[in-house]
Amino acid sequence: MKRIIGIAVLLLVVYLATWIMADAFSGRAVFMSGYNQENLLRRIALYGILGIGVSLVIITGGIDLSLGSVVCLVGVGVPWLAVGQGWPMPVVLLLALVLPLAIGLGHGLLVTRLRLQPFIVTLCGLLIYRGVTRGFTQDQTAGFGNGFKALRWLANGEIPLFSGFGIPVPLLILGVVAALVAVFLNRTIYGRYLLALGNSEEAARFSGIQTDRMVIVAYVICSFLAGLAGLLFVLDVNLAQPVDFGNFYELFAIAAAVLGGCSLRGGTGTVLGVLAGTALIQVLRNMINLVFPAYQNMEYAVIGLVILAGVVADELAKRAVARQKAGS
Amino acid sequence: MTSPRFLAVAARFLVPVCLAFLSACQKSGGGAQQFAFVTNGVDPFWTLAEQGAKAAAAREGMDVKVLMPAGGAVEQKSMLEDLLTRGTAGIAVSPIDAANQVGLLNEVAERAILITHDSDAPASNRQVFIGVNNYDAGRMCGQLVKEALPQGGAVMIFIGRLEQDNSRLRRQGVIDELLDRSHDPSRFDPPGGEIKGDRYTILGTLTDNFDRALAKANVEDTLSRFPDVGCLVGLFAYNPPAILEALEQAGKIGKVKVAAFDEAERTLQGIRDGQVQGTVVQNPYMYGFRSVEVLKALAAGDRSVIPADKFINVPARQIRKDTVDEFWKDLKSKLGK
Repeated sequence: MKRIIGIAVLLLVVYLATWIMADAFSGRAVFMSGYNQENLLRRIALYGILGIGVSLVIITGGIDLSLGSVVCLVGVGVPWLAVGQGWPMPVVLLLALVLPLAIGLGHGLLVTRLRLQPFIVTLCGLLIYRGVTRGFTQDQTAGFGNGFKALRWLANGEIPLFSGFGIPVPLLILGVVAALVAVFLNRTIYGRYLLALGNSEEAARFSGIQTDRMVIVAYVICSFLAGLAGLLFVLDVNLAQPVDFGNFYELFAIAAAVLGGCSLRGGTGTVLGVLAGTALIQVLRNMINLVFPAYQNMEYAVIGLVILAGVVADELAKRAVARQKAGS
Repeated sequence: MTSPRFLAVAARFLVPVCLAFLSACQKSGGGAQQFAFVTNGVDPFWTLAEQGAKAAAAREGMDVKVLMPAGGAVEQKSMLEDLLTRGTAGIAVSPIDAANQVGLLNEVAERAILITHDSDAPASNRQVFIGVNNYDAGRMCGQLVKEALPQGGAVMIFIGRLEQDNSRLRRQGVIDELLDRSHDPSRFDPPGGEIKGDRYTILGTLTDNFDRALAKANVEDTLSRFPDVGCLVGLFAYNPPAILEALEQAGKIGKVKVAAFDEAERTLQGIRDGQVQGTVVQNPYMYGFRSVEVLKALAAGDRSVIPADKFINVPARQIRKDTVDEFWKDLKSKLGK
């Protein structure tokens, strides 16, 4: 819990600052409008699923750079097959869930059996999946047009609460994913194995943990969640361009995980922290669009600076704690 | 600890920044109606449109934000949502993919005045489209190719992407003109294969998705694969400069003909130097200017600005060596250079 206090405070500050800047001076509920809060929650849900996935891999001391391209592969592939090629939707959906599992299994096997570095394996994945997607679609946008309204409810639907505000359905999906992963990580022996092997793979192996199997599981879950997010993204936006759909999403996901307390050295990380990290990035983007639209082209710079500030503050806080402990 | 000094330094930086933030907030929070002009990407072409939009906004005393999504359709969507959140009264947008954005555009149209510019979304509830007839403009570019290669020859087409209505029509116009086909904007030759006509062969269409480095690489690869290509056609603003760059490095400048679209400086210089046959220019400045004017009229309840066919044509023009200087001078004055 202690690990996520910093990020939670930062999130709260940015959230309140955005609220004040956007609403107080305009005298209207802009940021705090039901419409905007719903948009915000939906974006957090979509990006959060990616963040949770990659955090599992980061906990093992690995990395997954292929997320964005898996988002692209599934996000473009589903409408392309269902609308463009006329495949039945259940078959397409099954494929959309199974293919990422296979991709994750491939990554895991290459990392554990061939001892390839995760960075390289998933970097190649990044290139391959996007290239393949651009190839089979001939770079054409794929979309649902007016169809599949019921299915699209999964991404753009809501459970109405009160006038003008409802819980976006993807948030419920995120809730289920987050709960399952949190239970897996903290309440099952396998989650403990995962954290242990992230801390020291050798020690974990010597204490009898089947480390390879656990690493593979992490990659499989990660790719699966990327595929799920890709599906939800395209259901939300209704179209996907092979060339830029999901571009850079792996970095947003990794940034959210690191902000949320995952160490790239492995061994630490919490689901709540990752969610807070994701929320921070999305609130920042929302703030720039609502309050400083004229500086929208500096969005990446702002996000970069805030992430850097968060990580630096975290590091300084850790050192202060260590000094205190040493002193006492 | 150095914290007091650190705090002093931090305060010196933070206070003015905060004050600037606050004053920015107060300004934007004024009672005046807000309008927005949203592009489909980031490009000097859109800088011209921005100038037009701002000039009109200044003249009409309007608050107009110009937004350029760098992250494709996902970012354009969240940008439009956030504009609605801010209570923007009217939005002019160039949709990235009209067919699949109908739902989003209709959502915008429900809560604000919506018009399209540059690329249309005829199936949506947009009130009017301001732009060029891209098919006709493409045919004008085809005429430039014919002038450059009167005996016929092999032609390669370079373009940013083909998903957009405007780029598809523009490319089709070039092809139909070169093949002397009838006027039919609904025709579509899939990219990839070679298209052979009586005098002209279209070798293919290469896309680069706004990646300038890739745009140049596409030209280089074409030069290696088709050494006897006769004319290179660049259909997005940055394509002709990429073509000229690659030709220069290959020592083929002036030998391979170039037909251009839009008004990048390098393109205009190329026309002046005789390296480019000519260019077809849209009028992005007027896209911005007219969009803002029309938004203002619609916000005031004046619907007389909407023609019966819901299309405000900002016609394209051909610029050749004899007209390039005059055009360029006018362009510079619009950009305040």
